[in-house]
Amino acid sequence: MATTATISIASDIMGGFGGISKTMTLTEAGGTGDLRETTGYSRKKLVAATATNLFTMAHSAVTSADTTTGAKVFIKNIGNGATPSVIAKDKGVVVRVSAVEVGKLYGGDWMMIPVSTVDGEDIEVIPETDDAVVLEYVMFYQ
Amino acid sequence: MATTTAAVTLSSDLLSGSLSVTGTTTLMKAGTTADGLNQMRMGRNEIPTGTSFDLLDATAAGIDKANKVYISNESTDTSYYVIIIIDAKVIGRLYGGDWMFLPWNMDDATHDLELTSYVGTNTIEWVKFHENETLTTQGD
Repeated sequence: MATTATISIASDIMGGFGGISKTMTLTEAGGTGDLRETTGYSRKKLVAATATNLFTMAHSAVTSADTTTGAKVFIKNIGNGATPSVIAKDKGVVVRVSAVEVGKLYGGDWMMIPVSTVDGEDIEVIPETDDAVVLEYVMFYQ
Repeated sequence: MATTTAAVTLSSDLLSGSLSVTGTTTLMKAGTTADGLNQMRMGRNEIPTGTSFDLLDATAAGIDKANKVYISNESTDTSYYVIIIIDAKVIGRLYGGDWMFLPWNMDDATHDLELTSYVGTNTIEWVKFHENETLTTQGD
């Protein structure tokens, strides 16, 4: 039961940059066994510039409250969720880990990072404006 | 306009129904709709254990500018890892063979992105796509 993630980056900023293509298999910490737990793929519509938890590590669904475990989080800003979704490249959603800002996901942007699943190390998001924005997200953990 | 795209494919058979997610984004300057990131830095570093190192230094000029960062742990031993730290906060562990991609926003000039290596010397490859960086004046 494997989970894989492949990234491909292309850029014309610098002439000699040949791009990046890399695949990883999501495995348990320090080993080769596959990650076997997930929060499931989720979707949340935000309509106010207030903080919302995407992942609450103390939640009973996240049972591996330990710094030594492996966990990966994927978050994607898909726009306002209308049909078709309007993607505002100039409006961002701040992503924070335990109240520390990691970065802003603008319309269409995505991120994938390793996280701790220690209780209290929650992942929260704060839209920059009250305009509707929809995030899709999933966490895999052990 | 400089054009940089980052695409991802996430696939899993962990659930009874398979999961397949894709995404592609063009990396833009902060708050713009048609102005792509136009600067980049990249490197490969061997990170010894025992000390935390700044991989990327936050600067006053970079506050609230757009940055996208790719980091890959090229260590072949999957027990090796680096801890990723932003503004003194541990984000997570990047093990040998893993990569990460994040928007890194400096909300102040101390918002450094740091690494600490564990188990052994880790080899890291990284690229930062960004805007608004000027070279340091000679003698500073």
